[in-house]
Amino acid sequence: MSPAAARAAPWIRGDGQAKATGQARYTADLAFPGLAHARLLLAGRAHARIVRLDTTRARALPGVLAVLTQDDVPKRRYGSFDLVLDRTLFARDRVRFEGEVVAAVAALTPELAAAAIAAIEVEYEDLPPILDVEIALESGSPLVHPEIDSYRHDPNLAPTGNVAGRSTIVKGDATVALAAAPVVIRERYVADMAHPVPIEPHTVTADWAGDRVTIYSSTQVPFAARAKTAEVLEIPEHRIRVVVTHLGGGFGGKCDFHFEGHVAALARAARRPVRLVLSRREEFIAPDKVTHAMVVDLETGLAEDGTILARKARVLLDCGAYASDTPTIGQVAAMMIAGPYRIADVDIEALSVYTNRTPSGSVRAPSGPQACWAVEQHHDVLAARVGLDPVAFRRKNLVHDGDEGPTRQRHEGDGAIDTLERAVERIAADGALGPNEAIGVASGWWFSAPGPSGAFVRIESDGSGRIVTGAQENGTGAVMALPILAAEELGMRPEEFAITYQDTDTGPYDGGSSGSQTTFNNGRAVVEAARDVKRQLLELAAVALEASVADLELRDGHASVVGSPDRRVSIAELATTAHSGALLLARGSGVPPEAPEHDASACVGRLGFESFASPTFFCHAVRIRLDPETGIVRVLKVVAATDVGRVLNRIGALGQLTGGVVMALGNATTEGTVYGADGRQRNASLLDYKLLTTADGPEIEAIFVEHPASNGGPRGSKGVGEPPIVPTAAAVANAIAIAAGVRVRRLPMTPERVWRAVTTGDDGATEVNAPFGPRAAAVEAAVAAAGPDRR
Amino acid sequence: MPELLQLSVDGLPVSAVVEPGRTLLRVLRDDLGRTGTKEGCDDSECGACMVLIDGRPVNSCSYLALQAAGREITTVEGLAGPDGVLHPLQRAFLEGGGIQCGFCTPGMLISALALLATDPDPSVDAIRDGLAGNLCRCTGYQPIVQAVQRAAAEMRGEAGSAAS
Amino acid sequence: MTERFAAPTTLSEALGILAADRAARPIAGGTDLVVAARQGRKPLPESIVAIHRIAELDHQGVVDGALVVGGLTSHAWLAGSPDVSAGWTALADAASIVGSPATRSTGTIGGNLMNASPAAETTAPLVVLGGVVTLRAAGAGSRMLPVASLATGPGQTATTPAELLTTVTVPPTAPGSGSAYIRLEYRRAMEIAIVGAAALVTLDGDGRIAAARVALTSVAPTIVRAPEAEAALVGTAANAATFRAAGQAAAAAARPIDDVRASADYRRAMLVVVVARALAAATARARGESIPIPASRWAHGQEV
Repeated sequence: MSPAAARAAPWIRGDGQAKATGQARYTADLAFPGLAHARLLLAGRAHARIVRLDTTRARALPGVLAVLTQDDVPKRRYGSFDLVLDRTLFARDRVRFEGEVVAAVAALTPELAAAAIAAIEVEYEDLPPILDVEIALESGSPLVHPEIDSYRHDPNLAPTGNVAGRSTIVKGDATVALAAAPVVIRERYVADMAHPVPIEPHTVTADWAGDRVTIYSSTQVPFAARAKTAEVLEIPEHRIRVVVTHLGGGFGGKCDFHFEGHVAALARAARRPVRLVLSRREEFIAPDKVTHAMVVDLETGLAEDGTILARKARVLLDCGAYASDTPTIGQVAAMMIAGPYRIADVDIEALSVYTNRTPSGSVRAPSGPQACWAVEQHHDVLAARVGLDPVAFRRKNLVHDGDEGPTRQRHEGDGAIDTLERAVERIAADGALGPNEAIGVASGWWFSAPGPSGAFVRIESDGSGRIVTGAQENGTGAVMALPILAAEELGMRPEEFAITYQDTDTGPYDGGSSGSQTTFNNGRAVVEAARDVKRQLLELAAVALEASVADLELRDGHASVVGSPDRRVSIAELATTAHSGALLLARGSGVPPEAPEHDASACVGRLGFESFASPTFFCHAVRIRLDPETGIVRVLKVVAATDVGRVLNRIGALGQLTGGVVMALGNATTEGTVYGADGRQRNASLLDYKLLTTADGPEIEAIFVEHPASNGGPRGSKGVGEPPIVPTAAAVANAIAIAAGVRVRRLPMTPERVWRAVTTGDDGATEVNAPFGPRAAAVEAAVAAAGPDRR
Repeated sequence: MPELLQLSVDGLPVSAVVEPGRTLLRVLRDDLGRTGTKEGCDDSECGACMVLIDGRPVNSCSYLALQAAGREITTVEGLAGPDGVLHPLQRAFLEGGGIQCGFCTPGMLISALALLATDPDPSVDAIRDGLAGNLCRCTGYQPIVQAVQRAAAEMRGEAGSAAS
Repeated sequence: MTERFAAPTTLSEALGILAADRAARPIAGGTDLVVAARQGRKPLPESIVAIHRIAELDHQGVVDGALVVGGLTSHAWLAGSPDVSAGWTALADAASIVGSPATRSTGTIGGNLMNASPAAETTAPLVVLGGVVTLRAAGAGSRMLPVASLATGPGQTATTPAELLTTVTVPPTAPGSGSAYIRLEYRRAMEIAIVGAAALVTLDGDGRIAAARVALTSVAPTIVRAPEAEAALVGTAANAATFRAAGQAAAAAARPIDDVRASADYRRAMLVVVVARALAAATARARGESIPIPASRWAHGQEV
């Protein structure tokens, strides 16, 4: 099959039939003889000192097999990517967020486990929760981590006070340029936290055999989970095997190390396999991976003709109780605030600020949607000030091929402009706007994430192929599409390949399903391994066909002489030959593409995102209808144009796009975490944390623009999983501003917030009157802070 | 007191001894080993646990197992023919990108089956309303809606006329 | 933890258990009770009487012009019945937006009423339509209670544990009447009313409002009538201005609360909107105009 034909053929994911028939086993579906059931004791309060922790009664209950606290595990602090080592497996002296794990039990039944949890006695001394990033930054604010100065941390960071990390993106001198700019606009935008909400809750089962443990986990990052389990339990990594059977979605919520360590320790103590399945409520509050709440202050200078001259900005990211990977994401946020625009002078600062809320982290395109939502609204405001329409303003300022980025990287291709033009053209094709309807647009960019990754490819004795990879399939189909790449190299059909995946004992290292990196990196590894197998096949064929390797090609399942297609030998025959001699067996990892050349000499807090490698460019255009009396916004249509470099698997790329758009629309309008003044989440259920339903989904039109990246993934491809979620909320916001005549500067743009903006002009950025808004909560907390409340 | 529960699951008579408070979902998954039906929430909001009871869609997570005594339960595991031939809905989901992580898929398929049983030629709006009790975080729903359209056309004998 | 379970097939058997076992509580579809237990809000009762097999409670019909349905009647039946749509349209509006297709096929009108949620969808329509429930207890015969008097607080009813809701009777509406139920919803399905309003409007020969009833969802501990709104309507021309004035009268008298779903301010403001929209839809129906069911999407301009 020719490469083009292979790409055009209908693609059916290899795990699809098992999933369609209910035969696919997810982590919670696995059966183990003697399985015990785990349950966690969560703090249930945002900030408190643990005065007394007594598990005696729980341990004495019949059917209770293990009860663990921090006293039962090694005393060591850890942190994501070793950025800030600020946490322990269990809370010991202090709890810093509602979902923090205080103890864990294993019992014969889930009911007994619940009873054991109820029998654990904890006495807390409540402390005032710090729930607002600006209050946290005030001098004299109580510290979330009083011992912060003793924490080990990444050398590029200097955690202090309530600041876990600070990163800047600086080019030129924005202060001087702003002073000279004829038009300067300052604005504030505020985004609330949101949740990833995979439909499968976190599930972990640990099963020991001697000194080795197999951990079945619903993780997106098996190798990271293995490494952290090894670290916190002080077990050599090679004695830990992490297996993911099928993963029921992640969206970043299952990145990082979560409960593998707790469950492995429980299973060791219980001397039998132990399974933990989170309830939906626990799934909301306990896995510390939520979308960052952000406060974005923007200041941009324009020339009279609308040319952007300079930008200063400060982004506060609420990292919650623990730093997790937020400092890195702060740097990403700063890059997103600069955006794919020509700006000569840039000075953007991002602070990762501790609060007593659920820790944030790398949820799908972390910081991207919020940053884009802020800066793209800002751009519409700037455009209006100089009398330009939003499209003309973007045409004038978006980067073209050869333009320089915020740290002087050179952009490649006109993807930013082309996606704008295509999206605008298509959204206009639906005809005149009805009453209260409006169109909004938003552009943006997102990085690809080069990294190490490995794969093996082999040809079995029957001529079929097998890919053995460490890559992780979270549902996107990225791993399932790897056979397309191998098949293209080997002149075979994708369905002739089996895949062995997501088992740390079997596949070589991969970074997991995060950062839109699977195809980009593991695809490269598979292509390299397949090319090696191809070389081996052609050498065998050269002997069989008495031809020179240089004259041979692989196509349609055969090796044949170029120009003499009848002189051929099937791959199956070559495989038979190989299996009496040297096996058809190869490995690949390739060399991760280097970051584009750039100048980050003026930036601090450098954690690897000083430039955006092979950035994906995109523009979404939306058509909405506003009900001005209620503030309810219905999104009628979304046109999503994306420059993904090269579409490798159209059905997979489309699925990322439609899924990303609807997730983004939920984030934009109906989701958003609501906290009480006590720092506890008020909407930790799917009734009150409202994902859009099928009935709410708009029509989505996908447009793929293909400008292959010279330093990209396979065939010039770029990351595709995260970008679709980035600009949708921004486009909706810009449409709301047109339909309502007033701007909403608070995310999510709930009906009540839109209504309030329409009726009072209050844009929500300083919202204090919402009953459970975090700022209101902070005010209440400040009142309550008169003295610790002993309960 | 535990009671003997007898019912039919995907055409097979089965029985289990269950506590009165036990849900149908737990009986299916834990007692009968039918793990195709999933648990995604605790408030009947996600739809991953959807089964048919005598043809009607029910969230099995909030239905007491003993209430289903004597009933015919249809789960995702009963959709394919005895020869393993996929149901048109399963095939349409597979071919149309209606499956990503797959965790909502069992419930989605069951809701689609219930919808097509009462409305063999549903409009797009009817499909969207019919599947509104099943949350999916991966697909954005559009590929699923299109797959149901295709399957419906095929089941009406209009194979090939389906929307693409 | 539930110790006892019975699934009687006759009403007398069920009433006998409820009378004999003081801990026994009835369960129909289970959509509310089991969810509450799973979320840890309220454990399942010690003794459960599953009433879903009692054929005497599963009947539907129009008797002497009145809608008479058994307590086991599903939302799906109410939403799909041409009789309900024609004569008691507000009830069809409400039943068709309860939860999801599964909720509607499993959940019953009896369960919805007895759960006594201030956000229950079918209650406000039944209140304006003058619905009456029949309660029966072993040895005590039966008594009838207006739906408006059934709930006494969130999850509380004016019934005894031995009583079972057997029948809901809804009288015919007067000639020249139309009814509608409007819910403010953030998403189009799987929603709980932020606020809601049911309206029954009867027009006189001149097209003026001869009589009106309005009931409100999610603004008080129970679903309540809005006498201020009703008083503001009678004798007025049925137009947008009077509908809005009625909404404002309702809002002025209401004492909604702040919660995770909305602030009291927003609820009060939205009360004006949903009352006015319910009146507009009910009036249009009274005039014989065709307003789609459910009226909510039409009223909110959300039909696409």
